[in-house]
Amino acid sequence: MNLDWSIVWEYRWAFLFGVMNTVLLAVVTMLVAIPGGIVIMLMRNSPVRALRGIATVYVETFRATPLILLVYWIFYVMPRFGVHLPPFLTGVVALSLIVSAYNSETFRAGVNSIRKGQSDAGLALGMSKWQLQVKVILPQALRRVLPAFSNTWVSLFKDTSLVSVIAVSELSYVSLQARAESFRIFEILTAMAAIYWCLGYPQAKLVDWLNRKYEVKE
Amino acid sequence: MSRMDHQRNAIGKPPIVTYNNVEKCYGDFTALNGVTAEVNRGEVVCLIGPSGSGKSTLLRCTNALEQINGGEIIFDGAPLPKGENNVRLVRRRMGMVFQSFELFPHMTAIENINCAPVTVLGMPKREAEELSYSLLKKVGLVEKAHSYPSMLSGGQQQRIAIARALAMGPEVMLFDEPTSALDPETVGEVLSVMSDLAGEGMTMIVVTHEMSFARRVSDWIMVFDKGRVIEEGRPDNIFKHPTEGRTKEFLRHVGVEV
Repeated sequence: MNLDWSIVWEYRWAFLFGVMNTVLLAVVTMLVAIPGGIVIMLMRNSPVRALRGIATVYVETFRATPLILLVYWIFYVMPRFGVHLPPFLTGVVALSLIVSAYNSETFRAGVNSIRKGQSDAGLALGMSKWQLQVKVILPQALRRVLPAFSNTWVSLFKDTSLVSVIAVSELSYVSLQARAESFRIFEILTAMAAIYWCLGYPQAKLVDWLNRKYEVKE
Repeated sequence: MSRMDHQRNAIGKPPIVTYNNVEKCYGDFTALNGVTAEVNRGEVVCLIGPSGSGKSTLLRCTNALEQINGGEIIFDGAPLPKGENNVRLVRRRMGMVFQSFELFPHMTAIENINCAPVTVLGMPKREAEELSYSLLKKVGLVEKAHSYPSMLSGGQQQRIAIARALAMGPEVMLFDEPTSALDPETVGEVLSVMSDLAGEGMTMIVVTHEMSFARRVSDWIMVFDKGRVIEEGRPDNIFKHPTEGRTKEFLRHVGVEV
């Protein structure tokens, strides 16, 4: 096989642009999906039955929906109802809907693992239910679920590639474009894999470090 | 009964907590079966009796961590309010110490102490820190200010928990078996902090199995059995001349000669 790695260098700016969009997609999605997940989790643990019902339906719907279907749906079907979203925003909305559902389940597991005595202690000090969550329960729960949460993050980072189906110029889309233009399939796909790995590996290490730093010992 | 009541009222302090025929059930199980009792300002009252007799339940009802099913609890002249916001106003005035400490594990000792004054009372951070240091000094743990609970012994954790409760400036302190989860060698340091507190005139309701503490420090003893106060009186009377058969049985069981 005749390899020509210079092709990867030729497309360096396209790759860089793709990386920026991939990172942006993942970061913006998570910035939405963390508060989103917390809100849905609080609704699922709420004493109000209607809120619990809505949140349960939400979670069960979006956990079971393939991301790619959701992307297509928002991009091609919603305009019929008068909702037109540009591709990047479509990606953010689709990813946020699904990741919020995942996050809410992760956070719920964390919150439910905090023993009742901690709530008793907070309430006995005169805290409101809200203060109790913010000061006592959530900080512990979030630290406890950090490993599961970081798995979601890494999955999200790679799942952004599915948004390429509606021509969002993230890393996968620009790579596939480059491949189509240059016909250097091996070099381009290898470069693409290497870039994803180089982005993902330090994140995994960062998460390990955060885990050690913020681990709550009992 | 009437003779002992007379002796107690001679102290002449007004009641801070009054229990009127308090009932509490968990499903079919009756935890409190009509408790009527009084705690006066400045008194140390120890609740003793076998496990499951309702002592801890009464304590948890006192600051409305549990809702009662019948009767009433009067705190400082008014029945315990309904509704979260009003309940919170009452809880601020009571401190509670738990068997399993329940320090917040993600906060240092000093953060545990100043958290509620800052969050609940809106005290300026600086002032709260000064208060926390004075309380750390009181429980003898200034050098542990920046330690996390996991780095402290059980006795040290419980002393921090007492400081945390005191930071709210409570009018009454509720102790729920504060030494039951401790290694024997650290029980003393916690009891000594509690004795100091009693000496300062703090009103204390203490659920305990430490009979020597109850005898030495308390002004009044209530003996619980099957969700009722079966006997109450001054420590000397209860420990030397118990009148109820169940009291005698319980005291013998915990190793007190009667």
